[in-house]
Amino acid sequence: MSKARLALAKALPKRAEMPAEGGRAGRALRALARGALAHKGLTIGFVVILLILLAGFFAPLPHDPIQPNPESTLQSPDGEFWFGTDRFGFDVFSRVFASARLDLPIALAGTLLSIAVGIPLGLAASNKSRWSERIMRGLDMFQSFPLLVLAFAIVALTGNTLRNIIFAIALVNVPRFIRLVRSEALVLRESRFIEAATAIGASRTRVMLRHVMPNTMGIVLAQASLAAAHAIIVIAGLSFLGIGITPPDASWGVMIRVGSQNIATGQWWVSFFPGAMVFVTIVAFNMVADGVTRVIGRAED
Amino acid sequence: MRYRTGAIAKRLLFIPVAVFIVITLAFGLVNLTPGDPALVIAGDLAADEQVAEIRAELGTDKPVPQRYAAYVRELFTERSLGTSFFTKRPIWDEITQRFPDTLELVVLGLLGAVLYGSLLGTLSSYFRRRWPDTLSRTSVTITQSIPDFFMGLLLIYVIFYIIGWAPAPVGRIGLLDRPPDRVTGAVILDTLIARDWGLLKTAFHHAMLPVVTLALFYSSHFAKTTRAVLSRALNSDQVEFARACGLSELRVVGYAFREARTPVVTYIGILFAALFGGAAIVETVFAWGGLGQWAIDAMLKLDVPAIQGFILVVGLLTLLVYLLLDLIVVALDPRVSYE
Repeated sequence: MSKARLALAKALPKRAEMPAEGGRAGRALRALARGALAHKGLTIGFVVILLILLAGFFAPLPHDPIQPNPESTLQSPDGEFWFGTDRFGFDVFSRVFASARLDLPIALAGTLLSIAVGIPLGLAASNKSRWSERIMRGLDMFQSFPLLVLAFAIVALTGNTLRNIIFAIALVNVPRFIRLVRSEALVLRESRFIEAATAIGASRTRVMLRHVMPNTMGIVLAQASLAAAHAIIVIAGLSFLGIGITPPDASWGVMIRVGSQNIATGQWWVSFFPGAMVFVTIVAFNMVADGVTRVIGRAED
Repeated sequence: MRYRTGAIAKRLLFIPVAVFIVITLAFGLVNLTPGDPALVIAGDLAADEQVAEIRAELGTDKPVPQRYAAYVRELFTERSLGTSFFTKRPIWDEITQRFPDTLELVVLGLLGAVLYGSLLGTLSSYFRRRWPDTLSRTSVTITQSIPDFFMGLLLIYVIFYIIGWAPAPVGRIGLLDRPPDRVTGAVILDTLIARDWGLLKTAFHHAMLPVVTLALFYSSHFAKTTRAVLSRALNSDQVEFARACGLSELRVVGYAFREARTPVVTYIGILFAALFGGAAIVETVFAWGGLGQWAIDAMLKLDVPAIQGFILVVGLLTLLVYLLLDLIVVALDPRVSYE
């Protein structure tokens, strides 16, 4: 073998650790999907979220979730009202499932928005330029604010429209994506295949978009799942405080808020079932995040 | 040592810039966000004159640069955060009156979180992959997946309603108790100063559930870090050597724990800063009457000057805490230095 070919062979990564080249994030994601099926936790978490989402939109509910039954208020769970009713006579069971129509799409939309903003900023911050310094300093300042409270204040001041809630969630989650993408890109740019791409004359932008970015997708997906779990907590918190979604719209936070006035007198079911649903959703998102981390081989243990 | 003091001086010099940015952010939050607070306060049925009146009172009828100048001037020359739109009291008084309550809750809650979390993490790493590890990790997974306000409600139901160990979740002391003479403003501390032991017991009793709520929810951070750091430390050469010297296991773990000191302190700092506002929901659940609960009330009523003042004060507090944190970490860990 000639010297040049030997050097080239060394430069190319081994087959097993071949990164997703060719720039299509789809290929990386397809590989991920194959691995995902082999991972039990990931599959369970994903199916649970899907079921909650589908049930919210398509399941036949026993009662109208936004139509109270004034003659049966604060009833404990029985054959007619499986999860009982609240003090207005709303059916807790129907509302717990109907809440998924609002809470989950908002959480996912907020997360998607923060990814959409976070990836370009993170990539830009990974370049050794004046901009990267500026973005990181700005981020430091921004993060030294209590973001959760800032999100509450923003929704309160701008009005509790869906758009504003989604925006607030994106705001809370965007710093983690900027940091994650930046630190990933900083490691990736030292790889041989990036060097190779640069050597054959690919432009900086092309290297970033078609070689670096696709390879951050796995870890971004894991982080996205954690961010979605956090978003569920933020939405529930907002609605619990009366700033976010307001009755009669069904939302887990709203339901917990309504039930909180009865829990000290023993009517546990009004708050308990929506709270349990929040818990299940968050655990499911965490399982997905955990699973993705393992499938892409980044788990610490 | 010399270059380190230089780095610290540089950091201190950055503070005025940071303060300025915080002020601008607090101003911008209210004045540059889309939407008109006056419209929301007035409601849908208000006449145009009423809206204009509210705008004039909030000062939002003037152009933004002029408002900003007035805001900064008032802040520095009169040391005033403005007055509440609804109570007409100075914001500064409202904040200082409630601050000690929040501080007490945050300190106790974090203390609980650190103790419980470190204990879980230590058990976890010492009995790695055995049942205490599984147990502690399961418990961490559960407590971090229950939103803190829901955890509070669950505790109220189980410990107040069913078992009856905790008092009703309203306020710092019983409704009929006479509050202690105000010295520091922190109820527990004031009862200590007044040597009113009966009231101290009541105050602790009332603090129990909110403190446990915060401790459980935030313990996961400490449990995870301690586990990660200790697992590494317990496999290190120095620990093996300590064992070879015949030191007791307790002492060996104690040595290993020193490794976890820096990350634990860092988390304490970050959470401490975050909780001034972050404890708001728990304060609301337990009618604690602190800064957070007041801020949430202000947000619900759209008391614009109050929201602005709260964001500013919490932002400045966070800056201060982060600065102290940096100094403490440098003092604790000689490996950390600033270039």
